[in-house]
Amino acid sequence: MNANLNLSATMAMQFVAQSLSTVKFSTQEDDAEFGNRVVPRELRGWLARLRLLEGVPFSYLVADEQLLPRESIRFFYLDRAWTDALVQGALGVGTVNSSDRAELNALYRVVRDELDEEERRVRLPGGETVQQGPAGPVSGFVLRSRAVAGWPGLHVRAYDRELGVADDAAIPESDPRRLKLLRMERLAPAVLLVLFDGIPAVVHIEEPRQGIQFGVRLSPVGGDPNNLQAGVKARNAKTALDTNANAADLVPVPFRPGSPGVIDIRKLNEALLKAPNTNMEGSVDGAEFALQMLRFPYRQVFGDPSVNGAPPLVNVFRPTLAYSVAKLATLFSRS
Amino acid sequence: MPAIGQFVLHSMANPPLKAGEYTLAGQVDVNKANGDSVGPVQTQETHLRVTAPRYKLPPEQMLSTFPPANSEGAYESRLPQIVLKRRTLPWEREPEPGNTTTPWVALVVIAEGEGTLSGDKPVAECVTPGLVLAGKSDVPTSIYLTVTRSVIDKVFPMREELPLLCHVREVDVNDTELANGDDDGFLATVIANRLPQYDRTNNKPVRYLACLINVEGQLAELAKPPLPTLNFLATSVVFDYRAYSATTGDSDHVVMGSSTTATVHGAALPRAAGAGVLAATGITKAAAAPVPVAGAAKAGGAAQQWSTTAKKVEHVALTASQDEAGRLVRDVMLEGYRGNFEYAFVLEPTYRFPVLAHWSFTVTGDGGFESLMHGLDVGLLGTEPAAPKLKAGEPPPPPLARPAAEFTETGHVGLPHLTRRGDRVRAWYRGPLGTYPTTRDAPGEGGRLPLAHVSDQLRRSVPDGREDLSLAAAFEIGRLLALSQPAVVRAMLAWRAEQFGAERARQLLAVLNDAPALGGVLKGAAAGAGLAEMLSRHLVLSAAARPDKVFAPSRVLVDAGRPLPFAREGGLDRLISEGFGFSAAAVKKLRGGMGTVAALQNTVVPVADVSVLEPLLGGVAADRMRASLGAHVDSLTADSLGRVSTGSGGGISTTGPLGVRRKLEREPDALDALIAGALHRSPR
Repeated sequence: MNANLNLSATMAMQFVAQSLSTVKFSTQEDDAEFGNRVVPRELRGWLARLRLLEGVPFSYLVADEQLLPRESIRFFYLDRAWTDALVQGALGVGTVNSSDRAELNALYRVVRDELDEEERRVRLPGGETVQQGPAGPVSGFVLRSRAVAGWPGLHVRAYDRELGVADDAAIPESDPRRLKLLRMERLAPAVLLVLFDGIPAVVHIEEPRQGIQFGVRLSPVGGDPNNLQAGVKARNAKTALDTNANAADLVPVPFRPGSPGVIDIRKLNEALLKAPNTNMEGSVDGAEFALQMLRFPYRQVFGDPSVNGAPPLVNVFRPTLAYSVAKLATLFSRS
Repeated sequence: MPAIGQFVLHSMANPPLKAGEYTLAGQVDVNKANGDSVGPVQTQETHLRVTAPRYKLPPEQMLSTFPPANSEGAYESRLPQIVLKRRTLPWEREPEPGNTTTPWVALVVIAEGEGTLSGDKPVAECVTPGLVLAGKSDVPTSIYLTVTRSVIDKVFPMREELPLLCHVREVDVNDTELANGDDDGFLATVIANRLPQYDRTNNKPVRYLACLINVEGQLAELAKPPLPTLNFLATSVVFDYRAYSATTGDSDHVVMGSSTTATVHGAALPRAAGAGVLAATGITKAAAAPVPVAGAAKAGGAAQQWSTTAKKVEHVALTASQDEAGRLVRDVMLEGYRGNFEYAFVLEPTYRFPVLAHWSFTVTGDGGFESLMHGLDVGLLGTEPAAPKLKAGEPPPPPLARPAAEFTETGHVGLPHLTRRGDRVRAWYRGPLGTYPTTRDAPGEGGRLPLAHVSDQLRRSVPDGREDLSLAAAFEIGRLLALSQPAVVRAMLAWRAEQFGAERARQLLAVLNDAPALGGVLKGAAAGAGLAEMLSRHLVLSAAARPDKVFAPSRVLVDAGRPLPFAREGGLDRLISEGFGFSAAAVKKLRGGMGTVAALQNTVVPVADVSVLEPLLGGVAADRMRASLGAHVDSLTADSLGRVSTGSGGGISTTGPLGVRRKLEREPDALDALIAGALHRSPR
């Protein structure tokens, strides 16, 4: 701006802008966390959820049944171009005439940035902070298994590296090593969809905790799937730790004859008392019994090379081809 | 208090006073100063009643249940449990007089056919006939569980097991996972003793009912089981009254759960009375183990029931009114446990237990989480399914009913496409779940992102000549999803009306703020004023500050004078002296001695005599005047002539200001041409 003041069209627009800055915009989307936003709050939330594929018919996600056979887990990268097109379609509802479209065109970049920000707030675990920063790649998996139907409330965690901490260490979702879950939902009784904010190196799928559970380890006797036996891992009543590290070393659980599944608690207690190092001093009370019967959830690890039998995740998220659909189209037009 | 994620287990929380009626007596003895007794003051008695739930658990005391009510899952290796809010609740009553350490509640898990639950009955009927529970009741009516001796022996916990199945847990109240919304962080937990089993014979889910029962006064009736075994056959059957009742006359009512038998009470039926007496007096204890029934008979009935019941529960939960929902849902959960067999069933004594709370759940499927997880087919979306592992003797899976899908390395699937013109072609489609990370549109010119306004803008051609409709399909489903929700459409249109332009204004403002000089220039705009007023004020103020720059240069207040001509010709003195015909030099000389005024008075100005026929003016002055007038007349003449000659040619002579007529040279005009023509013609 020169010191010489010329009243030009530019300047008139600047006057307008200056005046607009003192006029209060009618924004309900004043956000305690992010400040003023262009897209109204409820619309922002809806669009962000849409971008996490909420409400999108399943056949749009998995176009063919063979892509997701029974008892399978399929990892994927979320196609941002696809979800952007989805949002563009929804935004198109708000435009009526050409001037709207021009306005929206000018606004679209801001809208997209705001949705990048908002999609991380769709699923907010209590008491944890929202991750900031530009939206990166989103990956995830679809799990189709009886495990989804039979264990409602599975826990899914993803990390960008192998943590090397104790199994029971609690890592908050806001930990930078942990990938935030953008969405986790059962699309069908046996189909689970999970979206991660990033590309994981290690994925944990864990049995539901649902407070505290008590139980045993069931296993068939011999080859007969109907003839079952059960065992309990004895724990030291003073320290709550397993009495020995051998996972196969279980205290057999006695059952009442003729009553499938009914545990003879009294005899089980006697067996637990006889087990070495349980430190129960001759009698078992309710608390000690509960401690012995506590059952910790099983955790399936994908991608940890140190875990035997864990499917390698590195092979799943393999290096990528360097073309996308848009580039294919360009190749075509050139030829 | 334990940390989040940790908890402390206590074996019991025994209240100092069990539930019941108490009398508090206050006695005071008064002594004199020397120690002599005056005598006791009259005893003050206060009556207290310690209350506790007895027949019905208040809903707010039930914090959580496992497995969750009406849920389905593979719960085979888990013991059902109920978590109670009040830590002392399992020990608030004495299950038998004087026994303060055994809990008075037990959690029993029964499958369909192992027992029945009654409808709402007066509490006196809720215990085994013949037994009377002394003391106050918390509610007038409740429901009860009817089971046979063999079910008690086979399923119910034993007397010695009750203390082991209850414990108190202490957690941090802020721990959402463990505390579950408790107020003090102390919870009482009652565990069942039975692992709910899946029906392996028919490969069908089994619905179980978990009941928190009151064992007050019936502790002695609890199980005295034989020696345990270390394994069990999941196919064996505990008990199913329906199998027995099939041989009795009125099985219809029992199986159908109709109310005819359920409403008959007391001594209405002789058989019933007999059974009740037997049970109450304990003459006949545990009859021989029931005849084993084919598992198929029992499980078939159960399997048909479970799925419809779960749906019914959901239906009731959704449709019932707020106040009634809880009761109705619990009521529907009882389906399959209805019917009253105790009057019809005489092989064994039956017992009633008041039910404080109950819920049902379904065990679906066998197999552990671990084995399922290990059996998963892991891959990236788009990988071909692994060939099924066939067990020995298993027939290969039937071939697919339709041709195998068309997959590409990029994750695209070939799908049939009916074009708008009606052509049947194949198009490529790739959903949002891609095989490779894709790039997003980068901002183009002016920092704008490309935005599609119709789905056709997103159709792509690929080298093989087909269309790639992935993004177009995404656009269209996004549009349809938005349109399917009126609230979203409304929000969109409201946003359009109010806010589309606001962001552009903000961006402009950001540019403005980056220009520091402008801030000072425009400072001082009154806040809160209307836009139009502010804009006009700015305009006016700016214009007023530098009008020459805004509108045009201003007219100067005083024009500069022209240089006077006589100043060049010797000054005012000379002009005056020549005009009046005296010598300026002589006046100047005189002025030196007597001053200007006196000098002028003494100077003689030649005055002409009008009567003399001589030129009035002579000498220099006359010449000057003549010359000046002559020049003036000449200029006027020239002007007039110029005007005449360039005009329409009206006049041929003009009159000068001094009346001097002059013949004027002029250009020939049309009249002249006519005259000239006439002159030429006349000699002929």
